[in-house]
Amino acid sequence: MATNLIRRAINIKSRVSSSTVYTEAPASRMVLDRPYASEVEAQKVEPKATGGSNMKTFQIYRWNPENPSKPQLQDFKIDLKECGPMVLDALIKIKNEMDPTLTFRRSCREGICGSCAMNIDGCNGLACLTKIESGASETTITPLPHMFVIKDLVVDMTNFYNQYKSIEPWLKRKNPPPAAGKEIPQSRKDRAKLDGMYECILCACCSTSCPSYWWNPESYLGPAALLHANRWISDSRDEYTKERLDAINDEFKLYRCHTILNCARACPKGLNPGKQIQHIKQLQLTAGA
Amino acid sequence: MDASKGQKLSGMQKQVLSLYRGFLRAARSKPAEDQRQIESIVSAEFRRNSNQVDRKNFLYVEYLLRLGKKQLDQLKSPDTIGLSSVNVSSCKNQNADT
Repeated sequence: MATNLIRRAINIKSRVSSSTVYTEAPASRMVLDRPYASEVEAQKVEPKATGGSNMKTFQIYRWNPENPSKPQLQDFKIDLKECGPMVLDALIKIKNEMDPTLTFRRSCREGICGSCAMNIDGCNGLACLTKIESGASETTITPLPHMFVIKDLVVDMTNFYNQYKSIEPWLKRKNPPPAAGKEIPQSRKDRAKLDGMYECILCACCSTSCPSYWWNPESYLGPAALLHANRWISDSRDEYTKERLDAINDEFKLYRCHTILNCARACPKGLNPGKQIQHIKQLQLTAGA
Repeated sequence: MDASKGQKLSGMQKQVLSLYRGFLRAARSKPAEDQRQIESIVSAEFRRNSNQVDRKNFLYVEYLLRLGKKQLDQLKSPDTIGLSSVNVSSCKNQNADT
C-alpha cells in the first residue's frame, strides 16, 4: 500500500514538472496525468526480497479435550521472511495456513490486554510482545505453567480472577467525599505512589512464574493479586487501609512469598510485584499486627 | 475382585460422585418438569462418560470434573431453569474460492 502512495507522489511530481516546463513540446513527453494508481500498476506485484527462506521450527503444546490422550509437542515450520516479528504473528500464521485447530487467546496484539500470556522458551510473557528469536534454534511454546489446561494454549484463569476479586479491588470509603458530588482530591505525590501498580494488566505471567504460587495456588494470593492489594492499600483516597491489611495478614495469603522475585523477571510490563509485596510486609510490621 | 463401587473408593471417584450428588440436589430446587429433564440429561452424561472414558485417564477426568463444577455453579443460580446440549458435528468447511 505504501508503494502505491509513492507511485502517486511520483506521478504528481511528474505532472507538476510537465506544467512548469512549458517551453518544451508537451506532446513529446508522455506523462501520466492521473494521480491515482492505474490498473496496470495495481496488477504489478512487488518483487519479494530474493534469496532463500529463513525457516524456523516452533514446538507447540497441544492437548485436545475431545480426543483426550497425553499432551504433545507438535512441530511447525515457519518462513520468518513471510511472518511478522512477534510470536503471536507466527501463531496466527500457523492457525491460518497450517492448522486451524490450534487454540490460543489473543485480542489487542499490542501488549495491553494480557490475553496472549504464555510460556515462550521457558519464560512467561505476552506472545504479542515477544520477538521471535532469529537463528535456527527451535522455539518451544507452552501454556502458563502449573495452570489447568482447557485446550492447547488456553488455561483456566478462574482461580486467578477469584483471588483478584477476593482483595476487593475498588475504592472503599467510610465518609462521603469532601466536596459532595465532585471527585475526591488527591495530590500529585499521592498519585505518584500508585505508579508501578496501576499499569498491571492481569496477564498472570508473574503469578504463574512464582514457585510458591505453583505449590499453593489456592491459598497463596500470588504476586498479581498482592500487587493490586498494595495498589488499594497505598491509595490515599481509600479509607479501609487497616481492614485491607488485616484481610491479607495471613500466613498463607501473604507470607508464602519468600522473595523469589521471579515475578519481577516475568512481568511483560516491567512492573515489580515483589517490591510491592515487600511494602505490604513493612506496613504489616508498623501497623502492629 | 475389586468392587468398583463399594469399599475403597478412590479420591477421584468420590469427587465424581459428589459432583453427581450436587447436580441432583440442584435439580431438586427447580420446578418438577425441569427437574426431570435435568436429571435425565445429567445421568445420561455421567453414564456415557463412565463407559467411554478410561479410568486411568486422570487428565481427562479432572478436566471433566472442572467443567462439571462450573456448569453446576451456573445451574445453582435461581435464574437457570434447565440444561440443554447442542451436538456440533465436525464437518470440514471448504473455503469458497471467489
